[in-house]
Order: sequence, then structure tokens, then C-alpha cells
Amino acid sequence: MKEYFLDFWDAVSSTATGMAITLRHLFMKNETQQYLSDEKPETRWNSVIVPEGLLQDRSRMRLYVKMEDCIGCLQCEKVCPVDCITISTEKRQKTELPIFAANGQGIKQRVVQFDIDMSLCCYCNLCVYPCPTDCIVMTPEYEFAERDKTNFLYRFAKDKATPPEPPEEKKEAEPVAAG
Amino acid sequence: MSTPRQYKDLEPDEAYAFKLEDLEEDEMILNMGPQHPSTHGVLRIELKTDGEIVKDAQPHIGYLHRNFEKHAENIDYQGIIPFTDRLDYVGSMGNSLSFAFAGEKLMGIEVNERVQSIRVLTAELQRIASHLLALGTYGLDIGAFTPFLHAFREREKVLDLFEWLCGARLLYNFNWIGGVSHDLPDQWTDRVKVFLDQFEPVIDELHNLLSYNKIFTKRTASIGIIPPELAIGYALTGPNLRGSGIKWDTRKEDPYCGYEKYAFDVPVGQGRFGPIGSCWDRYYVRVEEMRQSVRILRQAIEKLPPEGDVHETVPKRVKPKPGEVYARTEAPRGELGFYIVSDGGLIPMRVKARSPCFVAMSIFREIAKGEMIADMVAIIGSLDIVVGEIDR
Repeated sequence: MKEYFLDFWDAVSSTATGMAITLRHLFMKNETQQYLSDEKPETRWNSVIVPEGLLQDRSRMRLYVKMEDCIGCLQCEKVCPVDCITISTEKRQKTELPIFAANGQGIKQRVVQFDIDMSLCCYCNLCVYPCPTDCIVMTPEYEFAERDKTNFLYRFAKDKATPPEPPEEKKEAEPVAAG
Repeated sequence: MSTPRQYKDLEPDEAYAFKLEDLEEDEMILNMGPQHPSTHGVLRIELKTDGEIVKDAQPHIGYLHRNFEKHAENIDYQGIIPFTDRLDYVGSMGNSLSFAFAGEKLMGIEVNERVQSIRVLTAELQRIASHLLALGTYGLDIGAFTPFLHAFREREKVLDLFEWLCGARLLYNFNWIGGVSHDLPDQWTDRVKVFLDQFEPVIDELHNLLSYNKIFTKRTASIGIIPPELAIGYALTGPNLRGSGIKWDTRKEDPYCGYEKYAFDVPVGQGRFGPIGSCWDRYYVRVEEMRQSVRILRQAIEKLPPEGDVHETVPKRVKPKPGEVYARTEAPRGELGFYIVSDGGLIPMRVKARSPCFVAMSIFREIAKGEMIADMVAIIGSLDIVVGEIDR
């Protein structure tokens, strides 16, 4: 009988202790941040613990490829654990003008297809490390939801999947395609 | 031309462990899950009930099977690490640490002291984050909503620290074979200290909010009892084993990453509000482990070597000699081990993960017998299972 009422007292007192903590937190500073509350895109990078402007330094979100630097070495394609990168190249003719990547490496291959399926990407960052010209990078851009799944296939190469043609004929064919 | 493979539907006999013919009077088969809000993932449990008493319970797993072990036989070692992150997706740092540790053992790599300290820092922060999630959702299962919000507020800070460190919030790909992916940024350790200073009072607050609450202790301290002999018999590890009063911690018994340098205690369940090995004991061990993690973190920050290249021992190509290795670490949920067989090639011949959650799930049938239906959720929550690690 005595124990029964002691339990009552314990329940009331321990609940009151919890209520006191909750009440104290009622008057503390609000820590919840509303997403895009004041219509500033930067608010996502606010953090209680990380100093301002440092959180997004190494952020790995959307992949981007600087195509003018790509030398077509296929290293990112090989290392990708989920095979979301597809590259095909063709050899540049010796008669063409020599072009170079930003770090001075000569570009011997023309990249005709550089597809990344972002719906497959697992954001592991492994493709970024072996790139000799640092042309494939993870950007801190995070809002890229799509209504259609096929829109996640990013085609980075400008002249995509052209059938191999002799160089003389190609010069004539290009203006027609552009018009 | 090969004929397309035929997939057979499961026979009712295979899908259900209990048969209608075997039921006695007043008994009923009740299906719980796989989409049950309190089963922490897609876990299906079949209950044989007599009124409100559970006569027998059979867990059915495989709803989150992602073929990790077979997949690991087709990709190189570095590519497996993002997949290990996805085993126990709320304790990713511990998983990749375990696999990287196994790979280093296989290749005979000794990492430098700075890498070891960084690994201890991240592993202990991950333990805090993982336990906070376990405790918060355990309160939520029982019906206490407030501690969940407090726990997640603190967990968010740990995730922010990780995002600052390596760019990802949940699946980090941070521990590599032979090193870690990023060096610590400037001020990182200072901010971790700030976090620890404000986190320690939160543990006491959590105790007052939930642990010593009479309603909570009455509910959890007398159910799901695992006696010490049963716990050893089922090879439980981690907080589930220590909740039964057995002092076993892989960090103490088989030190790795220089854990022998740090002073910390191994909290064990003491049966304070009921029999030893109850749900409350397992819960309490997790709370106290966070306090020990804070202790380790403070020492690790002090002993962190200022110099050292984190990529110093990262091999250009991971190509171990033929052989086999088993390496284990103390992940947040218990002893996580990886068994790797190499045939000297670039991809492993076999990778086997020994996951603590799978073992914890196997004891469920034993301890669920004779309990109430309403207590099933409390028992599952106290075992702290993550279905991603059970199914792999």
C-alpha cells in the first residue's frame, strides 16, 4: 500500500522535474532555423557550431565538369563505384590546332560524350581525386530536384554523339547543323 | 539464347513461420511491419499472440537487402568504402573505419599518429551522434516526444562538424585504406571543444528528462531481460552486452587506433530499477557511453599531433598480397568486423561483414516470449537495431 502511493509521488515529482527543464527551454534562444525563412539562399549554411562561411568549403553536392579542361583520360569513369559516368572519346587529328588544359597538359583526345547520371551518383567524391587536370568537381549546389528522372542525365560534352566523319566534310556540315 | 529466369512467389509456408493448424485455442498470428513506424526501418515481425501476451515472435529480415557482400566482390577496395558507409547509415564513420582497418591489416600499412587521432575523434563523435539518435527515438517509441527534440538538436551539431570536415552529412567516405580523406580544418578542434562544453550538461538534462522519469522506468525496467549467460550465448556485443552487466569493450580488450592511450571507463548495466539486463539498463549504458566518449574526445584533442600528412600512407593502388584477414572495431552498436579474403588482385575475393545488429536481432525471439504486445516496440528500440546493417 505504501509503495503504491510512493510510486505516485515518484511519478509526479519526476514528471515535474522534466516539466521544469522544458519550461526553462521555453525561454531560451530559438535554435530551429526555417528553411529559406527570409528568402536568402545563404541561410542553409548557417550553423550553431561551425563559424560562418566555413560550412560549405568542402561540401559535396552536385557534380560539375569543366569540359575545356577535360583530356579524356577516363580515370573518373574507371574509379566510379556505381558507374554513373559514361565517356567516349575520339582521337584528335595531328593537323588540328594543339589545345591545352588549364594546367598546361596537352589535349590529345576529343571528348564527344561525357554523361553523368546524377540519379545514380552516390556523392562519394572518388572521381574528383584522380583527375589530372581538376576538371571534375563537386559543387555546393544542393537544390536540383527534377520532376522527370531523365533530366538527371547531365550531358557535358558540347558535340554529343556525332558519327565519326572525315574532318573536311565536317567543316561543311557544321554550319548546316547550327542553322 | 537463355530463357529468362523465372521468379517463384513465396509459398505461404515460407512467408510465415507459424502455421494456422498449429494454433491452440485463443491464439492468433499478428503481423507487425514491415512498414511499422517503430521498427526503425523495414523489419517485419510475426507474432503469435494469446490475448495480449506474445507467445512467440519471429523476425523476418531481407526487406532492405542491397547485396553488399556480393557487390564487394566486383569493385576495388577503395570503391567498397562508400558501400560500407551504407550498412549502418547512422554510424557511417565506424563502418568505414572498420573496413579501412581490415584493409590496412591486409596490406601491412601502419598509419601515422595524426591519422589515428583523427580517426578516434571522428569515431567518438559518431558514437555520440548515433547514441543520440538511438536514445531520442527510443523515447519516441515509448511515447516521450521532448527528449527526441533535445537529442536531435545536439546531433545536428555533430553532423554540422562532419560536414565542415569532409563535406557530407551522413555518408562520409572519410576513412580510407591508409589514411583519411581530409585533414582537419583550422579551428575544428576548438569548435569540437565548444560543442563538448555545452553537450555535457545536456546528458544530465537527458537523465532528468527521461532516464529517471518514473513512467519511463516503470515501463522499461522490467521487460526484455537478457541474463548475462544468454547474452554471451548469443554473442551479443556493444551496449546490449554491457547492459547485461558484462564488462567487454573491444576498445579496451583489443585496442586499435591507439585507444590504449586514453583513459575511459566501460559503463555496465547495474539493474538499478529492476532485474539486470533490462531495456532500461541498455538505455542507461548508452547514455553513460556518451559521457565516456566526451572524455575520450577531450584527451584526443589534447594529444592530437600538430604535424602529419593524412595521405602519407595512402597507397596508389590497393593491391594486397594473397591472404585473409579479420579486423574488428567497436562501432556504436557493437563489435563490427570485416573478414576479407584476397587472391592478390585489385578486387577482393570475398568480403564478409560481422554486424552487431544482426546478432542483436537474433536474440529477439528469445526475449520476446511472454511479454505484452505493447512492449515489443520497447524491446526492439532498446536493442537499437539498424535494418541496413541486418540485411546488408
